[in-house]
Amino acid sequence: MKNLSFIETKKILKKYKMPYPPSELAKSELEARKIADKIGYPVVLKIDSPDIVHKSDVGGVIADIKSGEDAAAAYLKIIKNAGKIKNARINGIIVQKMERGTAVIVGMKRDAQFGPALMFGLGGIFVEIMKDVSFRIAPIDKNEALEMIKEVKGYEILKGARGSEKANIDAIADIILKLSKLAIKEKNIMEIDFNPVIVNKKTAKIVDARMMIKKWK
Amino acid sequence: MEIKKLDAIFNPRSIAIIGASRDEKSVGHAILRNLTVGCVFKCKYCRPFKGRIYPINPNADEILGVKCYAKLGDVADEIDLAVIAVPAKIVPAIMKECAKKKVKAAIIISAGFAELGREGKKLQDAVVKISKAAKIPLVGPNCLGIIRPSASMNASFAPSTPPQGNIAFISQSGALADSIIDWAIEESYGFSTVISYGNHAGLDVHDFMEWLGNDNETKSIALYIEGIDDGRKFMEIAKKVSRIKPVVVLKAGKTQTGKNAVSSHTGSLAGSYEVYEAVFRQSGLVIADTVEELFDIAKALAEQQPCRENAVAIVTNGGGCGVLCADKCTEFGVNVVELKQSTINKLDKSGKMHPAYSRRNPLDIIGDALPERYEAAINILLAEDYIRGLIVIQTLQAMTDSIEDAKIVIEANKKFPSKPIVCTYMGGRFSKESIELLKEHKIPDYNDLSKSAKAMQALVLRGEYLKKIDKNKS
Repeated sequence: MKNLSFIETKKILKKYKMPYPPSELAKSELEARKIADKIGYPVVLKIDSPDIVHKSDVGGVIADIKSGEDAAAAYLKIIKNAGKIKNARINGIIVQKMERGTAVIVGMKRDAQFGPALMFGLGGIFVEIMKDVSFRIAPIDKNEALEMIKEVKGYEILKGARGSEKANIDAIADIILKLSKLAIKEKNIMEIDFNPVIVNKKTAKIVDARMMIKKWK
Repeated sequence: MEIKKLDAIFNPRSIAIIGASRDEKSVGHAILRNLTVGCVFKCKYCRPFKGRIYPINPNADEILGVKCYAKLGDVADEIDLAVIAVPAKIVPAIMKECAKKKVKAAIIISAGFAELGREGKKLQDAVVKISKAAKIPLVGPNCLGIIRPSASMNASFAPSTPPQGNIAFISQSGALADSIIDWAIEESYGFSTVISYGNHAGLDVHDFMEWLGNDNETKSIALYIEGIDDGRKFMEIAKKVSRIKPVVVLKAGKTQTGKNAVSSHTGSLAGSYEVYEAVFRQSGLVIADTVEELFDIAKALAEQQPCRENAVAIVTNGGGCGVLCADKCTEFGVNVVELKQSTINKLDKSGKMHPAYSRRNPLDIIGDALPERYEAAINILLAEDYIRGLIVIQTLQAMTDSIEDAKIVIEANKKFPSKPIVCTYMGGRFSKESIELLKEHKIPDYNDLSKSAKAMQALVLRGEYLKKIDKNKS
């Protein structure tokens, strides 16, 4: 399977009216600074490379950048870090508006027998250690999307347990619903991770999207 | 597949056994014995097939006292169902004869097809091509066969015949079906139908499910599945059938992990079992964890009405047992509802309660409870609108009148038919008779408190599912 690039991914997100924070690809430190100025601070810079999957593990992500100077410096630092990885192709650096809230994950995997399986879970340890996720087979309706969210144990956190901010559940359901439509239509996309989707009281935004297509024959 | 066409499989008037054999150790002989005598291992549920039987064997005049025919074409009568147990390589030729004879349906018991690999698959495809062209619905190949106790038909080489009842069992494994039959006889679990579908070259699990959805003998469907080929079709039919009657499923291969080395996060979490689980939930199926649970749940769903609200009471003559059961209920999400003061007043006023009775749910009516105390408690609880299901626990103590207690439960179930009851009559030898009585009257009884709680959970889930469907309709 092959990973779609940032530009290709963004195109598909746009097509299905998926909410994501303002983000653009920079090819130089000057460009990074310009984009950041335009988007407004704070921003986050992230590597875009088909050869780097776990961006933060290789120093490919710098968050909470508050000035143009810092943006330019972060650009250079990420390029340097990525340079340590042998033969890694680099498309550029993504400059993105910082989102604050709770991290959740929304995903899709095309199952050979049943078609697209949609997944929902809370980010971090909930997914990785507890495997606290729910699945449905697309297409689904809004009620089913809401059910998916309510089914995981971590739902209590989204509801605002122990002083955490109540998350906009509807906005998450909306993303799952759009993913359901996307999965039914875009048959060549085999797997999708929206990880994380950052959700707060007002919105849910796809901060990082990964799409995998079948390798051409 | 037109569903009506499957009638020839489940309610045939005439059966030809192709490959009926004199050799007592052969499959062809076992099938003939099952059809003529009722089963190989005798039990009280064995009854010979009432329709017409035509053994086909070119080398015998008669087997087990039934006249044999050299070939299918020699039979003058119409054949509804052909049961084929000949070596794989001559099955295509036999299928051609079936087509010529215009048999209405066929079961291929013989092994040696797709399960063997590429050559076997070719042979199987050849057989399917013939049956498709002739529009003969096909069960198998490589299967145990079909048992339909209500039609006194055991068209299989299973060791025996299970009791007649309301559970339909569709099994991808023939061997599992064999053992279930033996177990069902011992535990008196009744079946409307047992289907082993083997390689499902013709009819697949969804075809059987669809037919059983419309079958009056079947009140619940139990599925044992190893894998599904046509996933979308399965979902479509499962959704349809689960609206009409409950379907419980056990899927093998839970711990199998995804094969993709390079995979997304979702990809690595969406193992095949997780996807199956989603499919089952979404289709309104109840998921069982073990073989025993599959039938425990299927039985509860076949014999009792769904629990229309998640609000259950427990009556017990042993305090600890009540608590254990309540623990399990809570773990399974079954709401052990708080008793209203008005209910407690009624219990007090009945004059039947022990001074130390619990006055709460679980309702412990104390070890010396005689039948009249059970009667008062059960009837007062079931008469309350807010209590929608009941678990009755009986521990056998010196003064316990187990049979009378069972009769009280049976009467209460008749009086409040919309409220499900499940029982745990704890004990062994001296509880046997009353447990049999409960079973005869279709009150599910389980030898463990956890199983009662699980059964009630299934009834609650079923109730919630039906409510959801009704809501979506309106």
